[in-house]
Amino acid sequence: MKFFLSFIIVCVASLLVSLSAVAADTEQAKLSLERLSQSLRQLNFNTSFVVVKNNQAEPYHWLHGIVKNQSIANNMKNEDGIELEVLASLNGPRRDILRVNNMVSYIDPEYAPYSIRSGQINGPIPTVLGRSIDILEGSYRFVSVGKNRVLGRAAQLIRIVPKDSHRFGYWLWLDLQSGLLLKLAVITHQGKLLEQIQFTHLEITDTISENLKQLQTTELPKPIDITAKQKTTDLAWQVNWLPNGFEPIKSNRHRINANKQAVEFMLFNDGLVDISVYVNPSKAKQRAVEFANDGATLVLNQVINNVEVSVVGKIPLETAKKIVSSVSFNRNVVNP
Amino acid sequence: MSESKFEAISSLVDNYHAPDQKSEQIIDEMLKDEHLSSTWQSYHLIGDVIRDEIPNTLQLDLSAQIASAIAEEPTVLAPVTTNDNLDNSLKAKVIQLFKPVGQLAIAASAAGLMIIGVQQNTADTNEIITPSQIVQTKPLGGFANPVSFNYQQNTNYQQSTKSQQQAVITQRIEQQRRFQALLSDHQQQIKLSAVQKINAKQANDDRVNKKPELEKVN
Repeated sequence: MKFFLSFIIVCVASLLVSLSAVAADTEQAKLSLERLSQSLRQLNFNTSFVVVKNNQAEPYHWLHGIVKNQSIANNMKNEDGIELEVLASLNGPRRDILRVNNMVSYIDPEYAPYSIRSGQINGPIPTVLGRSIDILEGSYRFVSVGKNRVLGRAAQLIRIVPKDSHRFGYWLWLDLQSGLLLKLAVITHQGKLLEQIQFTHLEITDTISENLKQLQTTELPKPIDITAKQKTTDLAWQVNWLPNGFEPIKSNRHRINANKQAVEFMLFNDGLVDISVYVNPSKAKQRAVEFANDGATLVLNQVINNVEVSVVGKIPLETAKKIVSSVSFNRNVVNP
Repeated sequence: MSESKFEAISSLVDNYHAPDQKSEQIIDEMLKDEHLSSTWQSYHLIGDVIRDEIPNTLQLDLSAQIASAIAEEPTVLAPVTTNDNLDNSLKAKVIQLFKPVGQLAIAASAAGLMIIGVQQNTADTNEIITPSQIVQTKPLGGFANPVSFNYQQNTNYQQSTKSQQQAVITQRIEQQRRFQALLSDHQQQIKLSAVQKINAKQANDDRVNKKPELEKVN
């Protein structure tokens, strides 16, 4: 009995401590994430990481640096200097992403190199981590969980927890010393690990590395102007349900490069997660829902009355099903 | 009626009752009732067994029953410590463990939730179509490599004819291509959507010259 009583007292005490700690944890988590975003923008770092999903590991090399007050900077009006960034995939055919301030160049085997105007690299690391996390506050909570050892360093575990069950959670291990990312995991509502990014090397220097110096003098491909395509297109259909916080980013008609299929397309984003919705006529009359997972990314499609509807994004299956079934048609897609 | 009598007999056996009218009445009843007297006997036997006082020559076949009863008893895991010193040292350790209680408690509760979650998750894997685990892509460039694609099938494979199997395989390959094409297009569209974000940012920059950290997506 005595043991039982003391057990209850311990339980209640720990519950109270946890509750009072939650508010402080949220504040600390936000501070850590803000520090991460600053570090990603301001530090000279040279780092490697692997993306682990589907029992495979894809290695990457990631460099970032700032060049301050150089003559070349004169025509760029960035008071913080020029940001240089390189993200290179190390296995398989060469795929590099280069960034000089607001110019991002993609080097892929499939296309001639091209550039677009953008302030961020769209790689395996969510771009929001380099920006303000304020936009996430509507849909996610931030929790500072505890300290851990990652990559031989003391790390703070921060959890980005969705407020509903329609999306995944993100766990981030941040270096206490530099504030940089050391590990990232995508976790389902039930706590299942879907994919993770593990850093394997991290070097922070005062000056930028040789590779970045080279990038500075490299002539990048001319940017392609795709602002015209960004305009919102009038589509024959609409999505009537999305989890709270998802906003339409763009809509268009284009051909999918791999199979030349003409599609009507919409892209949605909640700050952290992108959801693509595709609608196109299909030769098949009906096809039940089919889906596949690529790590956390789900691809799902179905055909109803010769219309194929597909959803792609890092979202749970139930969410994707709900989105697909919420699509309604304003006019005939097959024979407009 | 018998419940209270059995109880009375039991307390008599255990010598918890001072002789009074009620116990005398019970004894009288026992003498008359064969069932009650046998109960009296077996209670004594039980008492003897518990106190380990049974003679070796006992003819009743109780030992097997008792053995099985003991086997069914839950194992008592809590060790009985009589040593005071040991007890004190244990207490000291417990107190030390609970001093940094805040984060430990949170971590522990998180771990607990996770374990429950995993169990729930394994429970509902009886989907008609199970998600395949092996679609591999190259997210960096947004262009996917050929994949090894695992698709669990719920049709009866053995009963289908060869041409049907062929059709299923063709279908599978088509599906795989479809998914792959969608995945890579999704990546590509995300890359191109960044343009809009930066345009919005530049417009912002022109107006108030904001820092990149303050930029918001659309």
